[in-house]
Amino acid sequence: MTQEQTSNQLTLSGVSKTYGSIAALSDVSVTFEGGKIHALVGENGAGKSTLGKIMLGVETPDAGALTWQGKEARFSTPAQANKLGLVGISQELSLMLDRSVLDNLSIGRETCIGPFVDDRATLKQAQRVMDQYEMPLDPRARVGELPVADQQRVEILRALNQEANLIVFDEPTARLESTEARKLMLILRNLADQGKAIVCISRFLEEVLSVADTITILRNGEYVRTNSASEETRASLVEGMTGAADKGQFPPLPTVDQGAEPLLVVSGATTKGAFEDISLTIRPGEIVGLSGLVGAGRSELAHAIYGAGRLEEGVVTFDGAALAGHSVSNAVDRGMALVPESRRDQGLFMNRSILENVSLPYLDRFMGWLGLAAGREVAQVKTFCEGTALKYGELGDPVSTLSGGNQQKVLFARASLGQPRLLIADEPTRGVDVGAKRGIYDLIVGMASEGLGVLLISSEIEEILGLSHRVLVLSRGRVTAELVGDDINENAVMAAAFGAN
Amino acid sequence: MMNFALLFRNYGILLVTILLFVILAVSADGFATERNLRNILDQQSMVIIAASFMTIAIISGNFDVSVSAVFVTAPLFGLRVENMTGNVFLAVAAALAVGLLMGAINGFIVTRLKINSFIGTLATSFMFFGAGFLVSSRSLMRPESDVYRLIARSRFLGLTSATWIAIAVVIIATILLSRTRFGRNVFAVGGNMEAARLAGVAVNRVQTTAFLLLGVAAALAGVLNSSRSISAQPSDDFSFVFAVLTAVIVGGTSIAGGQGAIWRTTTAAFFLAFLNNGFNLLQIDPIWQRLIEGAVIIMAVAVDTWTKQRRA
Repeated sequence: MTQEQTSNQLTLSGVSKTYGSIAALSDVSVTFEGGKIHALVGENGAGKSTLGKIMLGVETPDAGALTWQGKEARFSTPAQANKLGLVGISQELSLMLDRSVLDNLSIGRETCIGPFVDDRATLKQAQRVMDQYEMPLDPRARVGELPVADQQRVEILRALNQEANLIVFDEPTARLESTEARKLMLILRNLADQGKAIVCISRFLEEVLSVADTITILRNGEYVRTNSASEETRASLVEGMTGAADKGQFPPLPTVDQGAEPLLVVSGATTKGAFEDISLTIRPGEIVGLSGLVGAGRSELAHAIYGAGRLEEGVVTFDGAALAGHSVSNAVDRGMALVPESRRDQGLFMNRSILENVSLPYLDRFMGWLGLAAGREVAQVKTFCEGTALKYGELGDPVSTLSGGNQQKVLFARASLGQPRLLIADEPTRGVDVGAKRGIYDLIVGMASEGLGVLLISSEIEEILGLSHRVLVLSRGRVTAELVGDDINENAVMAAAFGAN
Repeated sequence: MMNFALLFRNYGILLVTILLFVILAVSADGFATERNLRNILDQQSMVIIAASFMTIAIISGNFDVSVSAVFVTAPLFGLRVENMTGNVFLAVAAALAVGLLMGAINGFIVTRLKINSFIGTLATSFMFFGAGFLVSSRSLMRPESDVYRLIARSRFLGLTSATWIAIAVVIIATILLSRTRFGRNVFAVGGNMEAARLAGVAVNRVQTTAFLLLGVAAALAGVLNSSRSISAQPSDDFSFVFAVLTAVIVGGTSIAGGQGAIWRTTTAAFFLAFLNNGFNLLQIDPIWQRLIEGAVIIMAVAVDTWTKQRRA
């Protein structure tokens, strides 16, 4: 081991981190070395991002120790980690889009003479960094006008425009075209060759296998193994990431009448930058699972079907009639209901009452001679809240007083109040405690048993496996697999999700 | 689960107003007389009319600075029509129609052009003030018919017609906000626009309607004002909107939208009127009045912010 490699070595030993009652990381030990690209892989929620944040001082571990360059390192803020040369490039770029490349590179690191910024020296320094790492950019260009790949280079250069010995990349290629992604990998290799430790968090397994020297697998916050990349295959990684699937936590699915007229037919649905050429069919009583990674275009597709998002090409036929000039109120009137992905941002009015939250889309049903007929509204809302086993004090309580699982049930009560024919459930158990999930699963299966078609979107693969009659897997906006019956298994879904083109 | 801060936020203004009333009734001679209270009701009627619908606009998530301009300009159009036709009914209709049109312009600029409501209505304020100078030829206008003064100054059961109109407006606005689909949609749009959209609420239509109603209300207030003074004069005086906004904000309507109530705005308007009236009766320097009014606004907003932080 060369001197340089030892000096840029970060060791985490026995690191644990819990958020509330959820263990994001438990007892993870791993060493990152200078001169190498070290990839972290795992499913959503496996703890890779948490690990990255701990290395950068964004999060402080509850237990465990960090050793950097042979010495124990203690830091609790990103600034302290930065001083030690530990820097990160996050998935979301944090640039000043209205300012020049130079301004972005040198903010906080200007060369100064007294209180005045020495523009020429600052420019020279930025130019030197660009030359050293072979990422030439026009320092005068406005960052907002650059393509995403160049913006990312600005972000990387900003990290390098200071002492940077270990760099954590969180999903660096998620937003890049494949050719740009390859170029970025060359940059990563170049940085590693200069002795820096490169940590790469990625969900694209092919990419990881081709570029990384070392791969560490995490699952449910636990360390699985670290291996050299040459010893892993895609199959071995998928197996390591998923482990054994949990059975028996789901209610039995109703049988689907395959001869029934389809309820929803989508053909050739395309919206550039979101999804391409999607076709799918849902029959009454059928639950169709839409799987794929976050950002694969699942929610965009669901919103397009529901009339809330753009549909550039393709036809959506619902209940035998093509939907044209589609809008949300049209979808609601014709019998679609959506349980959106984020209940806080897209679903609920937190400081309004349960009553108002449940009845909002269907107020026209409760119109009386003087405004709303409160009696009928309360009676109906009560019936459907009880139908979802919602636990509440009074209908007038603000929904902010409910637990996550019960807030989700408010959305299900709203959906069922409309007595819809199609339910679109986007991440229905996100942020719901493990114990409360079964209640939500029962609701979904119960609605299917009553003859509703269900489009289920979930990042939790067990949910897709346990609740779907049929599974469509999306990767980068395209359907990469359609699985039915016995063909639905974790490996097949994961393999398709991680993007075989 | 009502904690103290939330309780204070909801009923604090009522408590404080009653307290102030009692203090003034005891300490200020001439405060708790029928005549004085009738005067306060009459004087506050215009602010209350505009503030009721300003409350709805702010709950829906938008400011409207242009109520001053509508307040000043709409009656000028009304008087122009009155001078031409001699018909008071037509004059009022014209003034309200101008208010409606101005509200439509505001709604278009904010919901379609996506311009921040504060900036957008500041800009339209200047345009509306300008229209006032044009229609009045820059001069004071008077009604020709003696009937015009009766709009605000008729008396019924001891109260002026302006007071009765304000009472009717408050009742209509309250029903609209708390008992109709529109009212629910207003809270939804201001509380969480994306969730409202995904629930099928026509977000732009709701916000535009709020502007339309506020435009008509401000025009109505302007007509009453011109009827009370039997004249109207072009100006670019922004003071009316400040009085209106003060009542809405002191009444605890959340400036972020999604929260508020007409009765609290109305109560706050009386609180501010009592304060003003009491200081005059006690012959306290008006400078103090301003200082205290400023402090009251800061307190009202602080309570709103604190209760929000507690729940976050």
